[in-house]
Amino acid sequence: MSGMVVPMSMLPPGARAIVREIRAGRGLARRLMEMGLLPGSEVTILFNSAGPLVISVRGVTLSLGRGIASKVMVQPL
Amino acid sequence: MGSKTIKKREIIVALAANPNVGKSTLFNALTGETAHVANWPGVTVSVNQGYLTHHGVQIKVVDLPGSYGLSAGAKQVAEAITGEFITRYRPDVVVVLADATALERTLYMAILVLELTGGVVLALNMMDVAAKRAIHVDIEGLERELGVPVVGISALKEIGLGALLDRILDVAEGRAGRSTPLRVDYGPLEPYINEIENLLANCPSLAAYPRRWAAVKLMEGDPSLAETLSKADPQLLKKVEEVRTRAEAELRVVPEEFMVQARYELISSLLRGKIKVTRLASPGLAQKLDRIALHPIAGPIFSLLVLFSAFTAVFAVNTGSPVDMILASIGFKKAAELVGEYSLVSLIGGAFDRLAGLASETLLNAGYPEWTASLLADGVISGMGLVLSFLPLVFTVFVLLGVLQDSGLMARVAVSLDRFFRRFGVSGRAVFPAVIGFGCNVPAILATRAMDDDRERVVTSLAVPMIPCQARLIVAVALVASIASTPARQAAVLVGLYTLQISLYLITALVMNRVIYKVKTPPELLLEVPPYHTPSLKVAWWYARTNSLHFLKKAGTVIFAANLAFWLMLHVGPHGYVADIQGAAASLGGIVGKYLEPVGALVGLGDWRVILALLAGFIAREAVLTTLASMTGVADPLGAVAALNLTPLQALSLAVLSMAYTPCAATLAVIKQEVRLVSLLLKQLVYQLGVAIAMAAAIYWGGLLLLG
Repeated sequence: MSGMVVPMSMLPPGARAIVREIRAGRGLARRLMEMGLLPGSEVTILFNSAGPLVISVRGVTLSLGRGIASKVMVQPL
Repeated sequence: MGSKTIKKREIIVALAANPNVGKSTLFNALTGETAHVANWPGVTVSVNQGYLTHHGVQIKVVDLPGSYGLSAGAKQVAEAITGEFITRYRPDVVVVLADATALERTLYMAILVLELTGGVVLALNMMDVAAKRAIHVDIEGLERELGVPVVGISALKEIGLGALLDRILDVAEGRAGRSTPLRVDYGPLEPYINEIENLLANCPSLAAYPRRWAAVKLMEGDPSLAETLSKADPQLLKKVEEVRTRAEAELRVVPEEFMVQARYELISSLLRGKIKVTRLASPGLAQKLDRIALHPIAGPIFSLLVLFSAFTAVFAVNTGSPVDMILASIGFKKAAELVGEYSLVSLIGGAFDRLAGLASETLLNAGYPEWTASLLADGVISGMGLVLSFLPLVFTVFVLLGVLQDSGLMARVAVSLDRFFRRFGVSGRAVFPAVIGFGCNVPAILATRAMDDDRERVVTSLAVPMIPCQARLIVAVALVASIASTPARQAAVLVGLYTLQISLYLITALVMNRVIYKVKTPPELLLEVPPYHTPSLKVAWWYARTNSLHFLKKAGTVIFAANLAFWLMLHVGPHGYVADIQGAAASLGGIVGKYLEPVGALVGLGDWRVILALLAGFIAREAVLTTLASMTGVADPLGAVAALNLTPLQALSLAVLSMAYTPCAATLAVIKQEVRLVSLLLKQLVYQLGVAIAMAAAIYWGGLLLLG
């Protein structure tokens, strides 16, 4: 079952989702993709509270600010 | 004639990898004691390099900075260097290191490098960890698919390094490796890439690059390549851009997005059937630890505890404080004295004092004139002592930082403190330079290179000098005895001074953001959180050794020279050699100091000796103490300060001033090197001097008013 496309920053800890789109400027989008976060990647949210998000993608743990996380559109699994 | 002598040649091997895959560990394991910092003309930052010999071949290993990609604009310093170095210097072999436990992600760099050159050896690091987690990698299969040697290694345990070196020689000598770079299939973009390739056929300015690679990079919108082209042939760049825009419109894709994806898809297909995980790793301790370390409330507390206990340990080993103060305050006077006496700083300082005394006596007894004895003892030997008494402090701080980084704790500290740092216009990354700055500001400023955001980098570089380094700690420790009488109060003064400086670091970041960039939104955190490691002492030792040597060379020479220069200033005057320390007023230094007395009076320090000491502190902060020592004729820093007969308020004013006023010469030199804007540097200087004088004046005059 797959849900609506939402910003990654809205997902609760433990949620898994597929990245659908990165709505960021060229430099940032490229950087995220090179770090392995690109459309089609499966992400798992590890921590998401007040500070930056901590996610797992392609076997690597990344931390990204809420601003960045809200630009990554994902579809929850 | 056909008689060729076999020339013993040197081959150049470049190491490239993502951050956090163990590249520095591999570099150190390969090159050991030969590692040093080198500059390559045309490459924007200095890199580490070292040598080794394998089967009689001399190999020069160049450690390129870890990065996630090859192309980047001015914003990401580290990114551009790998591509820059490979195209400019054409190393015989590029060793790309990937993490065997996270191949899906870390092979990306290998693909990027393989697109540029076929002379690659792929090393899969952490094979031991992979084995422990029951991850099996089909190395032969990967080798077959990629066409270059693939070697499984453990850089930390030094497993597989011999095989790696064998394969490096194979590639260097043409026995293995690809004759052509890897061609990634970009599907629908291919016709457009071909079109760009044809455009570039007659372009001499890009002749240094493989044409296909240049076309691929331009299709991706690589800023540095585009810049090169815009300088050489702006017409051609326009045509290239036109192809790119057309591809974007006709295919309805963002080329770079599509291309990164194509590479990741290639990796997935490469790895299909080549990685087998026979059992899943249990979540275990690491996750439990992260539940604390990354918790919104527990995390910051945990981070502060980690940093605080780490630094307490280092300070205690080196200076005895704060352990001696704590012991003294609970009544163990004798134990406190012992801790203070047997700290490394006192031990080394004492040894050099004795050496200086001995040398001076020997020279005098042998009938040499008095000035030679003084020059040798006070100018040369005490300078060396000063440099060396610092070394343990610097070294242990680097060991600590090495451990914090290697263990994976530093990244967690940055994540958990991000929310706090954002209030001051910087991200959690700003914690790294700050923490390093407690050891020495010079490597702290170098550490800002890891920041993605150029603005954050500049702002942090300018704020770092507010962080009190070890040298300033020593000055403060010598002064507290004149400020407060009981050990508990002395400790409170020190904590107060540190709190003040840390606040100034944050406030400066905020001010610099507002003044220079006039922006209010802090940069976003984007950071890889590496898995926890049991910290390796070997890695910490390498890290500390490289950085301490760097300190010894750079700061050591400056400190030594400054000490010598001040000996001259204090002993040479209009009337020749000034023998008597009490007569130092007649020396050049005395005259300058007297001239500046009215300035010192602003902060209650209208004593030319103090002013002279502060001037010496411009060159190296600890010189404040040595200058005072040579002017008062009391070698022991505490005694020298006491001999000035400062009131507690004056001593406090001096302590605040010497904590906060302008960075030392070595720090300034590094800021200039990194920020590259002299005007910004001058603003920083004026700002910091102004803040320091204002605070000292406020404390002195405010105190006078309050105390009547």
